[in-house]
Amino acid sequence: MPVKIEQRGAGFVQALAAEWTKLRTVRSALWGPAAMAASVLGIAVFVGATRSLQPDDTVLGGSLTGATFGLLVGASVGVLVISRDYAAGTIGATLMACPRRGVVLAAKAAVTAAVLFAVALATCFLAYQVGTVMLPDGYAPGAPMPALLGVALCFSVTGLLGLAGGTVLRHPAGAITTMVAVLLLPSMLGPLLGGWERWVAGASPVAALQKLSQSSDAAPDAVGSLAAWPSLWLVCGYALVALAGAVLVFRRRDV
Amino acid sequence: MIEATGLTKRYGRTLAVDELSFQVRPGRVTGFLGPNGAGKSTTMRLILGLDAPTGGRVTVNGRSYQELPAPLWEVGALLDARAVHGGRTAHDHLLWLARSNRIPRRRVGEVLELVGLAPVAARRIRGFSLGMAQRLGIAATLLGDPGVLIFDEPVNGLDTEGIRWIRDLLRSLAAEGRTVLVSSHLMSEMELTADQLLVIGQGRLLADTTMQDLIERDSQATTLVRAPHWERLRELLEGRGARMQPDRQGRWRVLGPDAAAIGRLAADHRIALEELTPRRSSLEEVYVRMTDTRVEYRAGSPASDRPTAMTSNIGG
Repeated sequence: MPVKIEQRGAGFVQALAAEWTKLRTVRSALWGPAAMAASVLGIAVFVGATRSLQPDDTVLGGSLTGATFGLLVGASVGVLVISRDYAAGTIGATLMACPRRGVVLAAKAAVTAAVLFAVALATCFLAYQVGTVMLPDGYAPGAPMPALLGVALCFSVTGLLGLAGGTVLRHPAGAITTMVAVLLLPSMLGPLLGGWERWVAGASPVAALQKLSQSSDAAPDAVGSLAAWPSLWLVCGYALVALAGAVLVFRRRDV
Repeated sequence: MIEATGLTKRYGRTLAVDELSFQVRPGRVTGFLGPNGAGKSTTMRLILGLDAPTGGRVTVNGRSYQELPAPLWEVGALLDARAVHGGRTAHDHLLWLARSNRIPRRRVGEVLELVGLAPVAARRIRGFSLGMAQRLGIAATLLGDPGVLIFDEPVNGLDTEGIRWIRDLLRSLAAEGRTVLVSSHLMSEMELTADQLLVIGQGRLLADTTMQDLIERDSQATTLVRAPHWERLRELLEGRGARMQPDRQGRWRVLGPDAAAIGRLAADHRIALEELTPRRSSLEEVYVRMTDTRVEYRAGSPASDRPTAMTSNIGG
């Protein structure tokens, strides 16, 4: 074939192109981001129509009520970016095409984070517009910028947690269940933990999301007094640690 | 060129591959032969870097697979034709593979044409027959026009026409100077395709030889005899140390004295013969005999409990 040797390659850029192509060519892969957008927007419309808002809530916080559920879907999107390969058996072809496993996982992480960021930003911006139009006057609007960027980033990072979980656990159903538990249990079991609640529940991506969206759910005794952005950086920090752990497992394990 | 030295893989207590050393050279089809569970697939996974060896080393073109800068340009491998996402179209499956190694997009159309899948390029793989999936898997191996090709049981589940197509393809790839390694548990298939043979059983190398050498060195000369008064002849043959087994057509397979000696013996004692046929054991029988003691899992049926290859009816 008339292609020069120096033009050949299987590095990060190629892995990224391959992962992006894989994602956009499977119809079921579109359902995740679509379900995420639909749940956030649907609940925003519901909240607007029923005016179910606490008096001390903001329009931004009320509009993003569905973002917590959307976050669970976002984690599943991250899980599926790798567990879909394990379920179909294409993990073998993926690693034969690019045997440097850290590069493969980095490409999957980049695709996951970018897709979730774009979809979440557009969706949450729209949800805020819905709230602004539908909710009655009298509520504080909240500060949408740069909070919405933080919310979108929170989706990306949660997707990366899902990717790390999917890499380690491999099976889609098991990994999704685990991720849902990891995201929901801290706030569900929080009241049982007494003084620890604000530390355990406060470190969850859900807490960072609620603080960023300026929701009345983000009370300091439930989710800690750490401010919105530091909460997000904390989540980013342990998501990267989880991803690094996943790289170690992924590199050592037989396919 | 594929080169293994002391290659070993252990899963827990199971030794799947045991100190394998071999070379697979370009320009010929090398058959990788062994019963199911002998370690063929594991060896291939070690070559491709999917599993890490417990000991030893294996290289492709002088490098370990992980060190190949753009693997699909050098190696094409088909391990499991069903390991594809059913929701993707044939074209899209090849497209992501091409993207992963910077292979030009037009190559996707070329290989689809080559394997005869161009008309179904836009169809989802879910609806493909096993034969079509095999062709798609082969198209994927050819994307980067690689010099080394590895196929794990490529004819499994194919019809006669598909089998012939793969056989011709493998031979033409080797004739172009490529290194072609094909595994099979079917000796009869290898007999028609391979020039060189690697035979393994329970993870160990049993033979690394050309097809011709294997037949000449390891096959046994036997003679098929049919005689109306067989019992008399039998006593005489036993006296000369021959071993005998009946076959399904009422003949006896005689191992020991050759056809000429049996003929003379019968004539000397005025015993009539209805048939006297010299034959060499088929490659299949050589293979069965070679791997018989090495087969790890054996079916419990009496038919597979034959004491030696002598009683096998294959080719009889």
